[in-house]
Amino acid sequence: MNHAVELANVHFDYGDEFSLSIQELNLNKGEMALISGGSGSGKSTLLWLIAGLLRARSGSISVAGERMDGVSESAADRIRARHIGLVFQTHHLLPEFSAQDNVALALMAAGEPEKTHASRSRELLNKLGIERVHVPVANLSVGQQQRVAVARAIVCKPTIVLADEPTASLDEVNASQAMDLIQQACREAGAALLCASHDRAMQSRFERVIQVDSFVSSARSHTQTGARA
Amino acid sequence: MNDISIVVKSLRSRRLSTIITAASVAVATALLLTMLSLRTASFEAFQRGTGTTHLLVSADSSPLTAVLNGVFYANAPSNPISWSKFQEIKNGFPYEWVVPTQQGDSFRGFPVAAVGPEFFTRFEPVRGEPWKLVDGQFPSKLFEVCLGSTVAADTGLRVGQKIVLTHGTGASLHAHEHEEFPFVIVGILQPSGSAHDRAVFTDLESSWILHAQERREHAGIEEAATVADLTDEDRKITGILLRLPTRPGRDASAAIQQQFDALRRDTAIVVAQPAQQIDRLRSIIGNIDELFIALGVAVLLSSGISILLSMHNSMAERRKQIALLRALGVARVRITGMILTEATLIGFAGAIGGCALSLIGNAVASGALKARIGLVVDPTLDPRSTVIIVAGAIVLSALAGVLPAITAYRTPVADNLRPEA
Repeated sequence: MNHAVELANVHFDYGDEFSLSIQELNLNKGEMALISGGSGSGKSTLLWLIAGLLRARSGSISVAGERMDGVSESAADRIRARHIGLVFQTHHLLPEFSAQDNVALALMAAGEPEKTHASRSRELLNKLGIERVHVPVANLSVGQQQRVAVARAIVCKPTIVLADEPTASLDEVNASQAMDLIQQACREAGAALLCASHDRAMQSRFERVIQVDSFVSSARSHTQTGARA
Repeated sequence: MNDISIVVKSLRSRRLSTIITAASVAVATALLLTMLSLRTASFEAFQRGTGTTHLLVSADSSPLTAVLNGVFYANAPSNPISWSKFQEIKNGFPYEWVVPTQQGDSFRGFPVAAVGPEFFTRFEPVRGEPWKLVDGQFPSKLFEVCLGSTVAADTGLRVGQKIVLTHGTGASLHAHEHEEFPFVIVGILQPSGSAHDRAVFTDLESSWILHAQERREHAGIEEAATVADLTDEDRKITGILLRLPTRPGRDASAAIQQQFDALRRDTAIVVAQPAQQIDRLRSIIGNIDELFIALGVAVLLSSGISILLSMHNSMAERRKQIALLRALGVARVRITGMILTEATLIGFAGAIGGCALSLIGNAVASGALKARIGLVVDPTLDPRSTVIIVAGAIVLSALAGVLPAITAYRTPVADNLRPEA
């Protein structure tokens, strides 16, 4: 099995307002792809479906060869913890936790031995240029927070990293640096990357660009339901 | 990193709210524990007064009145018992000891009890705790008194000083003082934690002489009365403390009930088993006691509600945290468990804090209560009550966490991870 992600005949909808249908979508291990589309086109919805945070009405979704559809929620949680790293536009770090603890959360969720949490988190953060690992992330700069978020996504050596608009709130220079960081980190961790972005400038960074609009079979209003971003 | 460390960090991040909520549990727990301690102490104080007495004989109207008057000095018994009746009772059974008592006089509002010498040598105000003196000795001659600890503390009187007793309770402005017979203070008793601490003790003959003198004054005899002048009319008592023989180390005896029944046949006297009367008193005032306990439980319940509100309010801020944990792969059940653990930890911390608060409060209060009103409060906590109350506080806190835990369980992940969420 060379696919990090496989989707077949997947259908999802938000009632009559929006529906997403994907006949086939595969992503190879280590492959980096961009999901492109405008605001409200369904990029995030596609990522959440792969992550098992939204459930498809029909079809099959596999991550690292394991079916995410039709399994119990707890089984989906385990697959997500083990095989999927997530990067968000606003990082979603826990501000009262230190950088090291934020990264260690992913190891805890994946069921990694507790005694390894501190050392693995610290080593990875140091590698990504974060030395003050015990400082609450609220006290770190935005750039440093981004690094912590990336570290959290790759610390479990996931099969795939799903990045949802990771550069949307950054200027051009910082966005470029952030993407460099994410892509390099994924490369080094051997993880595939599926990055959702409305920024067309991103397309040049990826060997493959997936237009999410091609999956949307009906969309009366793309702006009413934020979850479709 | 583990679930507990996440819970602890979460509690720390809401430090003020956590402390206030735990404090409310602590106060409620301490209140309940202290109320139970005081309840136990108050009943023990009643029991302490009865000491090693098995039976109390008086001419009062009821056994309860006999105990209230004879042991707790509520009022001076109004009806006397003749000395011949005392002898008849004393000689009617091989008692371990018999103590005749007479009340009627007072000193600055404190009751004066004239007692037989066995009161100090055989009777123990608290079982296993015989009388001890802080200073001086027990009365052994005419017109000597020893003061209960509260009397000594309140009046500031010392051994060697003289006092004058008042006929009756001294409540009347025209109360007669026995100025012609001053009494010398020869001893100060150690606190016993009973009503006896509020009494002044002397011997029977001195008390009889006071009243013989009154009789003689009415008859126009000016010469001071002596023991030789006492008549059978003067030799009256108001109570008899009786103890029956028991096996070594035992306080009860089957003969107590038999002798109680035998004495009851005499309609001229009232016989009481002090322990039974204390239980009766307990049942009478038990409702008030339960009211206080109910108030304590209500406070505990309100602290449970404050945990619920505190955590429920925090859930709005924590939706992103919960959604993130879910996105990282932490199962719903595990997050629900964390929220319940949080509530339980608040309850646990509050309950332990409440125990500490109660211990400190009891320690401070026990000293003050003993010094001021002679009430002995054991500053330690009753293990059984403590375990029940602490467990109750923890369970209540855990229950208070159920609603926030359900909210956490239902938190939608995708919605709360959107940038605008």
